[in-house]
Amino acid sequence: MLRSLLTVSALELRTRVRDRTALIIAIIVPVAMATLFGVALGGDDPPLRATVGLVDLDGGEFPDGVRREIMASTELDGVLTLRDLPGREQAQSALDAGDIGAAIVFPAGFSASVGAGRGGQVGVLTSADTPLAGVVANAVVDRISSLVRARTLAVRASLDAGVPAGEVKEFVERNGAAGPALTLENDPMAGGRVDLSVYYGAGMAALFAFFVVGASFRGLLIERKQGTLDRMRAGPIHGWVPIAGKAVVGFVLAMVSVCVTWGSSVLIFGSTWGDPVAVFTLLLAHVLAATAITMLVASRARTDAQADGVIMVISFVAAFFGGSLVPLYNLPDLLQTVALFTPNAWTTTGLTGLAGSGAGLASVALPIGVLCAIAAVAFGLAATGFRKGLLG
Amino acid sequence: MTNTLTCENLSKSYGGVVAVRDVGFTIAPGEAYGLLGPNGAGKTTTISMLVGLLKPDSGTVVVGGADLAADPMAAKAKIGYVPQEIALYPDLTGRENLRFFCRLFGLPRKEVRGRVEEVLDLVGLADRADAKLDTYSGGMKRRINIGAALLHRPELLILDEPTVGVDPQSRKSILDGLERLVADGMALLYTSHYMEEVERICHRIAIVDHGSIVAEGTRHELVELVGGADRIELTLDGDVETALAKLRGLGGVTEAVRTAPGSVRLIAEGGRYLLPAVISTVDGIAAVTAVEVVEPDLEATFLHLTGSTLRD
Repeated sequence: MLRSLLTVSALELRTRVRDRTALIIAIIVPVAMATLFGVALGGDDPPLRATVGLVDLDGGEFPDGVRREIMASTELDGVLTLRDLPGREQAQSALDAGDIGAAIVFPAGFSASVGAGRGGQVGVLTSADTPLAGVVANAVVDRISSLVRARTLAVRASLDAGVPAGEVKEFVERNGAAGPALTLENDPMAGGRVDLSVYYGAGMAALFAFFVVGASFRGLLIERKQGTLDRMRAGPIHGWVPIAGKAVVGFVLAMVSVCVTWGSSVLIFGSTWGDPVAVFTLLLAHVLAATAITMLVASRARTDAQADGVIMVISFVAAFFGGSLVPLYNLPDLLQTVALFTPNAWTTTGLTGLAGSGAGLASVALPIGVLCAIAAVAFGLAATGFRKGLLG
Repeated sequence: MTNTLTCENLSKSYGGVVAVRDVGFTIAPGEAYGLLGPNGAGKTTTISMLVGLLKPDSGTVVVGGADLAADPMAAKAKIGYVPQEIALYPDLTGRENLRFFCRLFGLPRKEVRGRVEEVLDLVGLADRADAKLDTYSGGMKRRINIGAALLHRPELLILDEPTVGVDPQSRKSILDGLERLVADGMALLYTSHYMEEVERICHRIAIVDHGSIVAEGTRHELVELVGGADRIELTLDGDVETALAKLRGLGGVTEAVRTAPGSVRLIAEGGRYLLPAVISTVDGIAAVTAVEVVEPDLEATFLHLTGSTLRD
């Protein structure tokens, strides 16, 4: 069984390499297109307008300091809006509803605890849908954390030196330890920058994955026309071997294609797509979904020309609505909702988030899950189609 | 002797339209069996069910003792299938095509090279083995198409119109090769539009029409079905009208017509044996300058049973 499958795969790979479609569709065109888009449109950030919730259960100096600093920051002017919320639950609800992009939660007694040298913890709520707002919230909290650490250390040292507890606050502030005034770094969104070369690189990778894997399934229908598929199926092999053999090659070539597009984007533009493991896994899930969808088309198509046309239409429609050609934030709200039905949207959003946030695999669990679900449904429908048609 | 192929009660319908109905026959080792039928009679559907490309609605197929439905791998390993089209890769060489199907069908790695050479010799293409298939002539493509079905040493060879579009020399070469395979003990199922090929190759023939086998037997048995009337074509020089009138009265002649100024056609039982009486009947009236006796043939039987010629 495995040997038969490898034999079919080896012939498919050889055919694709010989006729140069693998080289052209999988590597040259996506890299060229991603580079052209990157050169023409890259270097500009997608507009960020984030709303971050602030839950002040403390009522002390630290939340006030944060609020003051954000209001005073020129970098955040017109970009970041703070919204006060009464509690953590309300913040979570607002986050789930998409009213805010992230939230910072100061627990009750936070300022007092830090003032007494016992430290404290600030909570951050983020959403995978709004990674850039999460970046801002985390940047603010990182800054608070370092202040808290410095303040706690100073208070403990003063107490150990015999300063009375009632005078320690004044003593510490008089001697230069950072007070509750918060100073944000010049550009708290440094990690949130996403060069459009990454955006279009991701878009081209997502688009051409369909074409690359689609070529293998088109080959399956050509084999049906020339009779070699029937000759294979009449032999002592399982009926799925020719289909699986082609699918494996299409999948591998599409993975090569998306990885080369990724690599070329990094090398040519010096931009990062984020955590490599997370990027690779997300691309893997996208190619899996593209394989399943093109397999579904092949299972229902009557001719290779029909399959070719349908795959072309699906690829471009998914690319357009999924943000591979036009950034998602440029689409009207209705089309942004439609985008959720395309694998490209989940892949592009996931990749943009990874590039912007520097987060890991866990941050793209949802896009990966959705892509795998799309793949599972399409594989199931394709299997039914093949049983009724090609293998009937 | 155990039959190489036994199929019983094969039926297949498409949306209420019956394509094949209760087809069943057997083929013994070393026997060639022909399926004759007009286009759309159900031959290809029957073959597709026999090689496992189509699941029958009912019926069984047993090849070399292996049930195709219960153990498809074992049954298919005993079948060599030659499709009507050249089902090979045109941009690969003949040798590469054969090597691919050897590996696909699981021949041990060590045996692949030797078996490919054997088959190339068998189909007479050893000297063109390294040329791409799209440079082959029609006859060469047909031969390698058959060769690819022999790689895994099947017990039953199923050929669907294997000589379509080839020149007479290549056709003869293919038929000679098939006769050798049958003589060596292979069972053969053969379909063709060429009646003379089926008559030459096949020991037994089934005539298929509207999805069913309407007659089955040896060539002789099938011809007997339409009776023993021969056709006698006479060319006469003399008083043709008088001769024709005399011949109409001759015992055994069922019909006599003038087909040209000097030609007469007779339909007669046992025409070959009636010839001396025919000649003596016209003696002194007209001289017989030419005579041809045409015995009933499979074409006539086919016409009689299906109401159409094979190439309709």
